[in-house]
This record gives sequence, C-alpha cells and structure tokens, in this order.
Amino acid sequence: MFHRILVEEWQRLLSAVSITLFFTVFIINLIRVRRIPRETVSHLENLPLENDDHDRTR
Amino acid sequence: MSTETTQTKTRIEYDDTPVRQFMIASIFWGIIGMLVGVLVATQLGVWQANFKTSWLTFGRLRPLHTNAVIFAFVGNMMFAGVYYSTQRLVKARIASKLLSRIHFWGWQLIIVAAAITLPLGLTRGKEYAELIWPINIAVALIWVVFAVNFFWTLARRNEPTLYVAIWFYIATIITVAMLYIVNHLSIPTSWTHSYPIFGGVQDALVQWWYGHNAVAFFLTTPILGIMYYFLPKAAERPVYSYRLSIVHFWSLVFIYIWAGPHHLLNTSLPVWLQSLGMIFSLMLWAPSWGGMLNGLLTLRGAWHKLRTEPVLKFFVAAVTFYGMATFEGPLMSIRSVNALSHYTDWTIAHVHGGALGWNGFMAAGMFYWLAPRLWKRPLHSTSAANMHFWLGTVGILIYMASMYVSGITQGLMLGATKEGGTVLAYPNFIEVVTSTKMLMHIRALGGLMYLVGFVMLAWNVWKTARGAEIVNGSVEVYVPEKSAGMGLGGGFINAPVIYTTLLIVFAAGWGALPGAGSSFCIFGLIATAAIMSMSFEFSKAGWNDWYERLLANAVPFTALTAVSVFIGGLVQIIPTVMVNTGASIEGMRQIPYTPLELAGRDIYIREGCYNCHSQQIRTLVGDVLRYGEYSKLGESIYDHPYQWGSKRIGPDLAREGGKYPHSWHFFHMRDPRQISPGSTMPDYPWLFTDKTDTAALPNKIAVQRKIGVPYGPMTDVEIQQACDTQAAAIAAELKTAGAEVPPEREIVALISYLQKLGKAEKVTHAETPKTAAN
Repeated sequence: MFHRILVEEWQRLLSAVSITLFFTVFIINLIRVRRIPRETVSHLENLPLENDDHDRTR
Repeated sequence: MSTETTQTKTRIEYDDTPVRQFMIASIFWGIIGMLVGVLVATQLGVWQANFKTSWLTFGRLRPLHTNAVIFAFVGNMMFAGVYYSTQRLVKARIASKLLSRIHFWGWQLIIVAAAITLPLGLTRGKEYAELIWPINIAVALIWVVFAVNFFWTLARRNEPTLYVAIWFYIATIITVAMLYIVNHLSIPTSWTHSYPIFGGVQDALVQWWYGHNAVAFFLTTPILGIMYYFLPKAAERPVYSYRLSIVHFWSLVFIYIWAGPHHLLNTSLPVWLQSLGMIFSLMLWAPSWGGMLNGLLTLRGAWHKLRTEPVLKFFVAAVTFYGMATFEGPLMSIRSVNALSHYTDWTIAHVHGGALGWNGFMAAGMFYWLAPRLWKRPLHSTSAANMHFWLGTVGILIYMASMYVSGITQGLMLGATKEGGTVLAYPNFIEVVTSTKMLMHIRALGGLMYLVGFVMLAWNVWKTARGAEIVNGSVEVYVPEKSAGMGLGGGFINAPVIYTTLLIVFAAGWGALPGAGSSFCIFGLIATAAIMSMSFEFSKAGWNDWYERLLANAVPFTALTAVSVFIGGLVQIIPTVMVNTGASIEGMRQIPYTPLELAGRDIYIREGCYNCHSQQIRTLVGDVLRYGEYSKLGESIYDHPYQWGSKRIGPDLAREGGKYPHSWHFFHMRDPRQISPGSTMPDYPWLFTDKTDTAALPNKIAVQRKIGVPYGPMTDVEIQQACDTQAAAIAAELKTAGAEVPPEREIVALISYLQKLGKAEKVTHAETPKTAAN
C-alpha cells in the first residue's frame, strides 16, 4: 500500500528510504548509548579534565 | 577502562608551536576578514566606497570577505584548537613537526594566494568555492598533510579511547575532503581559469551540498569538538552528559549532509529533493539543540563563574548563538518561510549570528583561555577582555537586528501584490533598495564594533605574549599495552553492523518494492528483528565489546563515519545527475552561448555579479509577476558554473535578455544612477577601456564541448570571426543610440551575454539540441 502512493517517480522513494535509514541508525545508536557501562562514561567524560603542567601556569 | 592496564610511565612534552602559530594567524586574518566585511557592508549603503576601482568592487571583495572569515579566521582557529586538544586527549605529542610546519605555512600561502587572486577577479564563480583550480589543488594537498599528521598522532596515542571531540575532528577531516573535491571538479582552460564539470541544476545541487556542509563540517563540527574540550576545561567540570554527546555526534553527522537542498527551495530543483532538504533540516533541530543544551548544562553549579571569567562569558554566549542559529536554520528551511526569507538580508542575519556569535565568540573564548597557558603569564587585561565581550555582543545584536528588519522588509515588499494578487505593490526594485539603505549603515556600525572588539583581543594577546616565556605543556603518562586492533574489517563484519544493514535494506525494500518483493521484505524485517533481539539478549557482552573496541580503533570508526556521510551525498547527487542529462528539462532547453556571449559570461563571473543578482525565477507569485515565467530546469542546463545566486541586492536577471536595448546596459554599467536613481551598484569604467579576451575562447569552447555543451566544430578563425561579427553589430546599434564604443571592448561582450539571458527553445524529447549559433 505504502509503495503505491509513492512510486510514481522513483526518486520520491528516496525521502522515505532516507528517513527509514536515519531512524534505524538513530534508534540503534540510542539503545547502544544507553548500554555503555557507567565506568566507561566516567572515564571518557573526565578525559579533558586531566591536567598537564599548562594548567598550573596561570 | 579494561585496556588501561598500566605498565611504564613516561613524560611527554606536547608540541604547542603550531597552536601558537595558528592562533596568531587566526587573529591576524580574522581582523583582515572582518575589515573587508565592514568595507563591503559600507559599500551597500555608500556606492562611492567601491572607489570606481575594479579590485575594490563589492562583487570581488565579498568573496574575499567570506573566504577570509571561513578559511582563514575559522580555519586557523580550528587548527589551533585541534592541535592543542588532540595532543592532550590522546596523550601524545603531534606526530610530525615537519608536517605541522608544512600545514601551517602551506595554509597561510593559500590564504595569501586567495587574497591576491580574488580581488583580481580570478574566480570559479561559485560561493565559498571561488578559488581557482591551482589553489584548489593546494588546499586538497595541505588538507591531506593535516589529515596524515592528525591520524598519525592518533596512531601514537597513549590513551586507548577516543573522546567525543576527536570524533568530531575525524568527521571534519573526512567530510571536508569529500565535499571539497567533488564541488571543485573542473577542467582547466588556462592556469587561472576552469569550468566546473557540473552545470545547471546539477551544479546548483552540488554547490549547496558543499556550501551547506562547509557550514556543517568546517564551521560547526570542529568547533563542537573544541566546545566539548574547552568548555569542560574552562568550567572545571565534565560535560553535562557524555551519552548525549554520542547521540549528538551520530545524529548530526548523519543528518547534516542531507540538508543542502534547503538552499534551493521553490526553484527548478526537483521537488523530491526540496522535500528531502526540508525534512532533514527540520530533523536537525533535535541534535543541534541536544548539543547546545549539553554545552550550556556543563556549567551546572558553575554559573557564578560567569561574573568573573571572560572565557566562560564568550563560551556561553557562543553556545547560545549556536542554539539560536540552529533553531532559525530549520525554520528557514520550511518552504513557506523560505519564500519570504530567501534572497533577502534575513539569510545574512542568520549566517552572521552563526559566524560572529558562534564561531567568533568560540574563537575569542578559546584564545583568552590559551594565551596565559601558551605564554605562561596571566592574561594582560581581564577587563579589556570583558569589554571585548560586551562590544562584540552589542555589535552582533545591532548587526543582526538591522539585517532582520532589512530582510523582512525586502521579502515583504518584493512579494507584495495588490488588485487580487494580479499586480505588484512595489513594481520598481529600486524602492526596496532605497527603503533599506539606512539599515545598511547600521549594519556597518555593528560590524565595526565587532571588529574593534577583535582588535582589543589582538592587543591583549600581544601584551600577554610580549617578552613572555614560550611554554609547551608536558604530562606524565602511562604507556598502555598495545591491545589487538579490530582492523577495518572488524569495524564492519560484526553483529551490530550486519543487523543494522539488514534492517535498513528490508525496511527500504518494504516501502519501495512492489508485490512479492514487498512481502518478502516485511518477512525479512520481522525475522531480522527477531533474530537480533534474541542475539541481543544472549550476547550483550559482544555488542558492548564491539562498541568499546570501536571507540578505541580510529580506522574502522573513521570508515563508519565516512559511510554515514557518503550515503547522504550519493542519494542526492546520483539521481540529479541522471535527471539533468535525461529528458526532464521541463520542455525548455537553453540555447548555448555564442563565443562572444561566452566571453561576456566570463566577465560577468569575474566581476562577481552573482553576489547581487540571481538567475532563478522561483515558483512564487511575486517572482513570476516581477520577472516573468518561472525558471525551468532546462533553461540553465549548459551553465558551467550555474549562476542562480543566493541573494538579491539587485533584481533577478534570469530573463534579462531583450528586456532593454543595448544602450540601456551601456549607460547602466557606466553609471547605474543615471538609469536607476538611488542604485547602489558600482560603476564599471574599466569595461569600457579593457579589451575582451577572445584569444582564450578556442580553449574555453573546447572544454565546454568536453563537459557536454553542444558546440559544433569551429576553427580558431571561425570563433574570432563569430565574435567580431556579433560585436560589430552590437557596437553599431549602440552607436545609433549615442553610445559609441569600439566593438572589441569588454562592455560589448557583456551586453551580448546579458541580452542572451533567458533565451531557450521549446523542445519535445525527440529533438536534438541546437548548437551554438554564430
């Protein structure tokens, strides 16, 4: 049913394909992000805060 | 992290020389770029500021302003930020001093070359892609040097995992390379001139796929990487949500690349592409605001620091401007809103919110943060930095407010009709120009205030650095055991990627295929989802392990990023290339230019006329009433480069041919105010003294033939004769109108081109294209 509405010009399908593509990637990404272990997140988010001797020169 | 089983301890001294160099270069070129910006803003209100000098006219200086700000100011700032933060995030010194030097000096030479060639009128005639082909090659080579140095540094890292800022840098390097190369594909006709291989609608699409993503991947993703490093640093607390930063990254990288067609709404671009551009632009709202809020909320519990820390003031204002610009961008991508905003100063307000607010303030915040560290001395004057902040903020607001008022005025006046929508309310374009002239002065004032702020920054950094000790940062690190890499194949051949690919293929097939194919795809979709959910339960560890290894393996990560940006590009460009070369030209086909008209067109491009005049009549009532029948896809099919433009400071020229006699154009180009009182267009006296370069035409026509323009066989002598005959006829007609000029002068070639605009033939699919008439 879906394709009968859209298939008049084949290029028009690309909008539907594109959105399907995005939402699939997005949802899998969301699931993945929720499953990252807490300690990994903690390690990563603190990476910029590890000081070098520049941070003691001000 | 499991991989961080520590072994030996070592001390690393970072190489901060390129950071200092790029920072100083950014401040220097930023001031030059902004100065040119103030001059071009002034020219829009005071035409005398064009000085009747070819290399100082608006059409030539505006590309200099945009290129200087994007590639010189933000480019150098980005390199400084990337080199500083990458070393610290991966705990490794930059891989090669030599490559850093080549990168720095190569980039500065490119900028100098641009600053010389653009005012000379050496241009490709495409916005933000004006630089001529030898400079394009240099840019590509220097970008490769940067990429090699960056990835080599990653390969030598002592921190196994890659922080999200590094992801943004990787996406920048890959995507900018792809966009730049595709949009600059050209065939040279000489050392300083070339024609792009794409023409008409193809060129328009490729140009805005590039132009939009220059904003996305040159002005946004690297600066977001910088935000994710420097904002936590300045606030002395980790980013609000690291998980959100991951969603931000993948969503942004995936969506941004599709949104380019929103620059071409209501034009002759196929409607499906316009819809695609609009939908993806609206979807951009979510990741952009996710990132913006992530930045702002990083300051949780530290807002009091804003009272005293100019660095944080700049960062917070910058992120706020990012939020405003990324709210407004999707809004302007809605077709009905775009009908009002496009081709007006509204767009100018929008981009300056991004450039001055987001990019400029991120740069200022970063420089004020870096200077005391790079030169081991407290900032010379905190109060001057605070003053810079307020001067800059007020400057931006004055600039943007004047441009909003001007843009909405232009949009409303140009689209206004009366008598039941059958007659234009303001038929004379000049009414719009004169009614917004005062706003141009206000805009120049706002820009000047912003520039003064940056001069104060330069002074402050100079006073901080002068006589100070140059210090490279150093840190003690544990050298981790080399873990087994996953390799490029490991990034792709694993459960998460295979399941995702299957789901996408089946979902797309369900929508696209007829009959049994569709049923099969539904079955495939359900089966994959079922198998995936079972496998998900059984092998949580496997999925987690894959992702964690991906975080620590730059090569497959880079390849996956590249795939996500390639898809968006391919989906748009391949069908458009097929559409343009096929039968879909909407019943109208452009008649190729004669040799003289082609020479005239190159003069038009050289003078940067596209900066003020569009050649595209949109499918809107106001446009059609003012300029005639809306533009068809086939009417610009042989235009290499396309000249649809993005701004109407003057009227559209798509159907200019035959509208006025030759003498009208003659007098108008000599003194626009004689024909059109109140006009702000520059005088072009040199067109009346310089001779048309007809000697270059044989080469140019040979290249045009190669890229698909149907020129018949012509010898060099025939080309010259064709030029002479047409020029003599125009000169004779001019003479009868009291406008005497020798036929070999540039004005004659330009008139021949202007009179050709809008000339197309009606065709049925069976007909073969007409060749260029002599």
